[in-house]
Amino acid sequence: VVNNVETLSCVPHIIERGAEWFTAIGPPHSTGPKLFCISGPVKQPGCYEDAMTITVRDLIERPDMGGGMLSGKKVKGVLPGGASMGILTADELNMKMDFEDPRKFGLLGLGTAAAVVIDQDTDMRVVLRNMARFYGTESCGQCTQCREGTAWMHKIATRIAAGAGRPQDLDLLLETSRNMGMMPGLSICGLPDGATYPIETIVKKFRGELEAAIRAQPPGRSLEVLTAMN
Amino acid sequence: MAKIIIDGQTIETREGVPVLRAALEGGFDVPHYCYHPGLSIVASCRLCLMEMKMPNPKTQELVWSPKLVPSCQTPVRDGLECRFNTDTVRNNQAHCMEYFLLNHPLDCPVCDQAGECWLQDYSYKFGNPESRMVDQKLKNPKKDIGPKTLLYQDRCVMCSRCVRFTDEISGTHELAIINRGSRSEIDVFPGMPLDNALQGNVVDICPVGSLLDKDFLFKRRVWELRGSDSVCPHCATGCSIRIDHADNRVYRLKPRYNPKVNQWWMCDYGRFGYKHVHDKDRITAPKVRRGFETTTPNWEDLPEILRFRFEEHARERGAEKIAVVLSPFLACEEAWLLLRFVRELAPACALVAGPIPHEGSDEQFPVGANGSAVKFTILKEKCPNRRGIELLLSNAGGSQLAFADFVTCAANGDFTGAWITGGYPKPWIEKELTKAAEKIEFLVLQDFHDSELAASATIVLPACAWAEREGSFMNAAGVIQPFDWATNPPEGARRDGQYLYEIAGLSGLYNAERVREMMSESIPEFQTVYAAPAEPVHAH
Repeated sequence: VVNNVETLSCVPHIIERGAEWFTAIGPPHSTGPKLFCISGPVKQPGCYEDAMTITVRDLIERPDMGGGMLSGKKVKGVLPGGASMGILTADELNMKMDFEDPRKFGLLGLGTAAAVVIDQDTDMRVVLRNMARFYGTESCGQCTQCREGTAWMHKIATRIAAGAGRPQDLDLLLETSRNMGMMPGLSICGLPDGATYPIETIVKKFRGELEAAIRAQPPGRSLEVLTAMN
Repeated sequence: MAKIIIDGQTIETREGVPVLRAALEGGFDVPHYCYHPGLSIVASCRLCLMEMKMPNPKTQELVWSPKLVPSCQTPVRDGLECRFNTDTVRNNQAHCMEYFLLNHPLDCPVCDQAGECWLQDYSYKFGNPESRMVDQKLKNPKKDIGPKTLLYQDRCVMCSRCVRFTDEISGTHELAIINRGSRSEIDVFPGMPLDNALQGNVVDICPVGSLLDKDFLFKRRVWELRGSDSVCPHCATGCSIRIDHADNRVYRLKPRYNPKVNQWWMCDYGRFGYKHVHDKDRITAPKVRRGFETTTPNWEDLPEILRFRFEEHARERGAEKIAVVLSPFLACEEAWLLLRFVRELAPACALVAGPIPHEGSDEQFPVGANGSAVKFTILKEKCPNRRGIELLLSNAGGSQLAFADFVTCAANGDFTGAWITGGYPKPWIEKELTKAAEKIEFLVLQDFHDSELAASATIVLPACAWAEREGSFMNAAGVIQPFDWATNPPEGARRDGQYLYEIAGLSGLYNAERVREMMSESIPEFQTVYAAPAEPVHAH
């Protein structure tokens, strides 16, 4: 078993002060202190420690944490647990950063608790492409669904971002992301599960924006871009 | 024995084998790429996934698990219940097939594998008719990875069978997977090509057209080939093989599964060792010499001529002046028919086992393994039937001598008549024999290649290649295995078995099985021969 530094650094404190001290921190289902990271266009990006009682909004806004958005911009979305856990919209910032709440928002879990904030000026197509690119390059290539599926999702997302999306691409992305991963038993490791959550939640939660962007492509533009890309 | 339920059908199988194997043996067509019974299990193609009943963690009641599980990695336990005919399983198979084809070039019309390709078959049976990918395909390179094998990386499905073969069976470790994700490739290390005596097997186990044999490349479409079950004559191991032939020409040899001998494999010496079948300097017609005159008799007259001249010589010079050399390339049946003939006409003649060709030393695989870790052996004894001939000679009794002694005696003029059988795939007649044969007045030579000795023989009979004959060989381990003919002998020639059958005084068509029945009356070893069991039809 490989443990991370955060886990191991809890051990001396638990030994010195006892389990009761440790479990008294935070709500009953998510005890102990937690390191939260925040990056993106916030005033004070960094790593902060607190109990798992804070919300995503706290992490962004609190003066001893993110300190609010840069240049007064609005939040468009947040990836609260690292890329693999999925995305939250600006309306879902009241999600608690604990082990249970994220599932209520369609996320995979708390993950690394390293939140990435996306501001109002960011094109969700680009976020989608960035997520898909990461997992497309990270797949080790053993299992068929992940090896081919993540690369295909990257191709689709790249094309959408380049302005040659097709309406059916969004359903295709959802279908592909439903057909890989360890949870349905389809692959050996959990990487494809982490690959599908950001794709699936971006497509589901920002479908309106993505569809509008695809609709706004000038007629014939898809073909042009597609021809140029191929 | 264990009973398991697949798709509602109860099948009997063996405890501990993979469920996939049990399903294939039970006749279920479960698609799979990475699983091969002779290799370790990696469960990476994710095509053989199944639904299985597992105990509910809370109630311990057996329920269908919501997760799919790889059938190749699940060992059979008595009472296990699984199913493949559900939407979830079929949906996964359809998606996998779509994924396999995403970067596959669909160049079936120019691909050697087309017609025996598991990507074609599975796409047709389990896949979707069209791909939904409109983006550019990843173009992987074609690589020359060894002197005998080409790698078309763009056709690869990354099953890693070839890599595991070089790791686990040949032990030579030439192949590896480089890069990751969809850019994964099979490759060799710089300056270390795929070049070992078992490398041809990677082409056989490649389920798609990615690894191709340069020897067979672009020679023939596979659906034009007909396969005949045979036994490799190249060394005394006696691997079970299939001769793929068309238009009376041998195109390639493929191994057949044989649990007693070669498992799923064969070596390159045997695989490419069929070329002599089409040699130009073969003896293709019988010749009879009387004085300076040489004639080619009709096959119908030949038995009469042979019987008459053989008997005449035995009567005039004495049967003990005749020697009969039995080649280790003769089938047991052919040797038995010849023995029957000479024992009838010249009971006192001397019997000689033909020379045993040796090359190098025994090669064991995986390289460096010994004892029970050895998975494949190539023997230095390069003939198929030494033990068969020895068995027949030990049953024949009478006067017998070694081949070297025969040559010495013949040079001393101890023999005035001889019947020498050859049939070696390579020229085998040494100068000493040619010289000694000058003292033999009546020489019948039954051989494959034309030679000086053939020019001086009284009667020359064409020996056919093993691919043209039927019979049985007894391998070094003592297993008697039957083999079928694949091609017809060249024009003018006749199968050895047929003319030996006729001169032995039997009428009708030579049939190895019927001859074995006769043989088994005096030699019980021939009551049953070992024919390797066929692999399940959906296994590969």
